[in-house]
Amino acid sequence: MTDARDDWQPTLDELARYPARPDIEVLPLRSTAFATLYGVRLTSLGPYRLFGYLSIPTGSGPFPAIYYAPKYQSVLEIIPQGTANLQRSRYITWSLAGRGQRNADSPYAAMFPGLLTDGIDDARAYVFRGIVADSVRGLEFLLTRPELDPARVVVFGNDLALITAALAPGASHVVTTPALFHDTAALAPKTQAYPLEEINDYLRRFPERIEAVHRTLAGFDLRAFAPRVTATTLLMAGAPGSALDRRALQPLAAALRGPVTVYESQQSSYKDGLYVEEWMAARCGITDVQVILPEHWRA
Amino acid sequence: MPKAVAAEYRSVVRKPDDFDAFWNDVLRQASTIPLDAEVVPDPLRSSDDVEVFQVFYTSLDRVRVAAWYCRPSRRAERTPAIMFTPGYQMDPPIPKDWARKGYIALSVAPRGKLRSMRQFNPGYPNLLTHDIVDRHTYAYRGFYVDTWRGVDFLLSRPDVDAARIGVTGSSQGGGLTITTAAMRREVRAAAAGAPYLCGFMDAIELTHTYPYEEINDYLRLHPDRRQAVAETLAYFDGINFADRITCPVVVNIGLRDNVCPPETGYALFNRIAAKDKQLHPYDGHGHEAGRVHHGAVVDRFFAEHLGAAT
Repeated sequence: MTDARDDWQPTLDELARYPARPDIEVLPLRSTAFATLYGVRLTSLGPYRLFGYLSIPTGSGPFPAIYYAPKYQSVLEIIPQGTANLQRSRYITWSLAGRGQRNADSPYAAMFPGLLTDGIDDARAYVFRGIVADSVRGLEFLLTRPELDPARVVVFGNDLALITAALAPGASHVVTTPALFHDTAALAPKTQAYPLEEINDYLRRFPERIEAVHRTLAGFDLRAFAPRVTATTLLMAGAPGSALDRRALQPLAAALRGPVTVYESQQSSYKDGLYVEEWMAARCGITDVQVILPEHWRA
Repeated sequence: MPKAVAAEYRSVVRKPDDFDAFWNDVLRQASTIPLDAEVVPDPLRSSDDVEVFQVFYTSLDRVRVAAWYCRPSRRAERTPAIMFTPGYQMDPPIPKDWARKGYIALSVAPRGKLRSMRQFNPGYPNLLTHDIVDRHTYAYRGFYVDTWRGVDFLLSRPDVDAARIGVTGSSQGGGLTITTAAMRREVRAAAAGAPYLCGFMDAIELTHTYPYEEINDYLRLHPDRRQAVAETLAYFDGINFADRITCPVVVNIGLRDNVCPPETGYALFNRIAAKDKQLHPYDGHGHEAGRVHHGAVVDRFFAEHLGAAT
């Protein structure tokens, strides 16, 4: 597998030609005594204007940060559904809509399902090339914030979290749940569940494009990015026996350069979610994690 | 150890005296609008075992609503049907999994969802508090009707067995399952997971997570509107619909649910009028409400009440 950074350098160079030019506006409706919320518009590759929610804790800082990289859904959340709002009292939180998601859906509005195969038969035209650039741009923007403690920056998300940490400096920690780009060409035919079913739908309709699709997917495979990741990483694996369980992700875990913990899902959003919150808090020096847990998760 | 969740928790919500009159009027308005359904084959998403269609129909305020319609390629002349209702932030899925179990399946995208947002798009967050001080224009007035009209669509299909229609969903889909079962007697079985939209005013005190936190955000900015908000929400609270449900119902909740407080799930269940009702509380589980264990329960439930799938 080739070095992903070399393959991606032209895209990063192109991104660098577009300054972010952020436009930041306070959102009083979502601001509280413990945190102020801002809506941020900024430019990415294309040029394409993105949108994100930036929350800054009340106080002098510096603060640790969680960067919620673009998700695979149309909705952009301030913080993930079910997260205690008080998380925003301890961390800077920054959630970004990649191109196509709500608030960043003009001129390009993504479909779900549909995004995963948009332009997939041409690596240069594949929509995820732009979305990866968006995610990198998001991390670059976060690092400009003066309230930030740069030693405590968690990049959180699906495959994009790991890819972003590989392509851009600045992530001290990564929490990643692979879903889209780990050995996809081999795994997709073994499932009927979306989003990977999108690949099956596409190849059933356009079987002659299989080689081009597999070439594109190879350029996004997490195993090619892993050797570039030096951050301390929490790799969220599926339950035993699932397509992306600990065993399936072992080659990825082994390829990561930084310290890695592999967590295997217990198929309980409570148990899995609690583990992640405590893992992040411990590594970010937050000693009163109970305070920032959802009420029904507290001991 | 956490505090035990009170199974006898009592919601603060009270049913308005004109609750039935309000909804009867909404249904009357909806009944004057033709469904005008359009069914478009989707060859990209279809396969040998499942035929997929994009569906569009007209709902309240003449808003055009989208849905996915799936049917098993091999099926009986009249096939039982499942309507799937979506979560709050979920993009409505293509319900191939239900079709593979032998059901015709409809997955509705109520107004504001992807593919149904051209005429109405308050966004996320925002939907939950959109026009929340006026029950006649509150976002969920049309949103609920959009879901109920999904049953009308199923009834219009010659391949659907009208006597074997079920509804299911989790989170917001659980709440919509409750309201649909309450308002459409044609629903013969309902499976609701982690029901949202039930006990709104309780939930905003019991938890401080989104989406319910949208209401707390709104009331922090507009504290003078608290009474108006509570008055509106009483018309939309699933707990106030529950005494209209007569079909068999199964409800599952997670006792560590960080999104929809389990107390509200108990309060809802206690108010469901159906004699055939089951509650499955899952300890050690959050908002997924024990899905890993409960999936088989739901499959058996629908097989029993809608007839064995092919």
